[in-house]
Amino acid sequence: MIVANYVVAGLLFCLGLFAVISQRHLVKVVLGLSVMESSTYLLLVSLGYRENSTAPVLAGLPTGRSQHDLATGNVADPVLQNFCITAVVIGVAVTAVFLTVVVRAAQHYRSVDTVDLTQLQG
Amino acid sequence: MSVIAAESLPAMSDSVPTPTAHWHRPWLSAALASGLAAIVTVAMTGLPGGTAALPHIARQAMAEALPRWGTTEVVSEVVYGSRGFDTFGETFLLLAAVMAVVVLSRGREPRHEYVGEAGAGRSEQAAADPHDESDEAEREARAAESEEQQDRPAPDDADDDALGRRAPERAIAMTVVIRVGVRIAAVILAVIGVYLAAWGYTPGGGFPAGLVLAGVIVLLYTAFGHRAVRLAVRPRILEIIEMAGAAGIVGVGVLGLMLRGSMFDNWLPLALQQTIRAGGTLQAFSGFELVEVATGITIAIFALLGMGHDWAPDEECS
Repeated sequence: MIVANYVVAGLLFCLGLFAVISQRHLVKVVLGLSVMESSTYLLLVSLGYRENSTAPVLAGLPTGRSQHDLATGNVADPVLQNFCITAVVIGVAVTAVFLTVVVRAAQHYRSVDTVDLTQLQG
Repeated sequence: MSVIAAESLPAMSDSVPTPTAHWHRPWLSAALASGLAAIVTVAMTGLPGGTAALPHIARQAMAEALPRWGTTEVVSEVVYGSRGFDTFGETFLLLAAVMAVVVLSRGREPRHEYVGEAGAGRSEQAAADPHDESDEAEREARAAESEEQQDRPAPDDADDDALGRRAPERAIAMTVVIRVGVRIAAVILAVIGVYLAAWGYTPGGGFPAGLVLAGVIVLLYTAFGHRAVRLAVRPRILEIIEMAGAAGIVGVGVLGLMLRGSMFDNWLPLALQQTIRAGGTLQAFSGFELVEVATGITIAIFALLGMGHDWAPDEECS
């Protein structure tokens, strides 16, 4: 049933994209980009899932299992979890950049409506 | 700077909002997004399910975590060990984002040494247009704005401020309930944040820990106001600490290159697993990452919060 997670991640991405291309309010555009970004976290973590597996941690072992058993056994993919950890932090910083641009645009144009930001047109 | 004719400026605040004013061609966007959603859904159902074998790189990380890095936390081994160089690149991506926020949020350069343009006309810009009729609400908002800009003592407690003022909230601190709650939560969160990075067998290490510590500072700011964090949250302090963190990461990597022949290879003796020193250079990298992320995110957030009240439109410049 992990395919349901993939589909939800894909739909979340499309929902974010819909917000980005249909909304005129700049803060809502940034929110849409954040939703698109979050959908990738869900996809990455879901891709790392393995049926009947354990977390890729070699401590706190169940009785009768050694660290070697776990290292060679059925675990969730640690590489995709690593991508997710770093992506979350970078996402926060990139959202801060977007919001700074929004504040500067709002100060310059006295508006957060993209329709009013026409100076780059033509 | 370009001169814009006054009539070419759109009448933003005067325009009457229409029911669809928040949307930009919603039906076209909906059709495009739905089309993409259909394609993505078909593609997603074709992805491997939970029964596929682990890729080789993941299997190698599982096998190497203990013998080569002495850590039981395989995700941390991937972040700071076998894919350390990639994390190094991502860290400097974070640094670049923080730089972008700092540069974008910086006010106009004071140029009084040359011609004094920055100060000229400031009082006129701040004043209301004498031809405009100002009502009670506007006068109240302007008074509050000028009070905020001067940073004069505001009520310490939110309970001392009248409700429903047409102005930014003046009180520097929130109510006593929130202040007490934050005093307790901040300590617990700070300890958890350091714990996440300090122990060599907690997931993620410095990345999530740095975010937790940055969150603690924002929490303190929210509850107690800027004056509570003013002594610590200064560019001179935070930027130097952040650069020290970045230098530490570079140092760990370059020493690995010099001593072991590979960037970010382990050059420290391995301590007993599940102890504070477990992980070798992985722990050092994680610690410097904690410093880098905590200060970087704090700088970005406070640069954004501190963006000046630079509301003068540029079209008056010539």
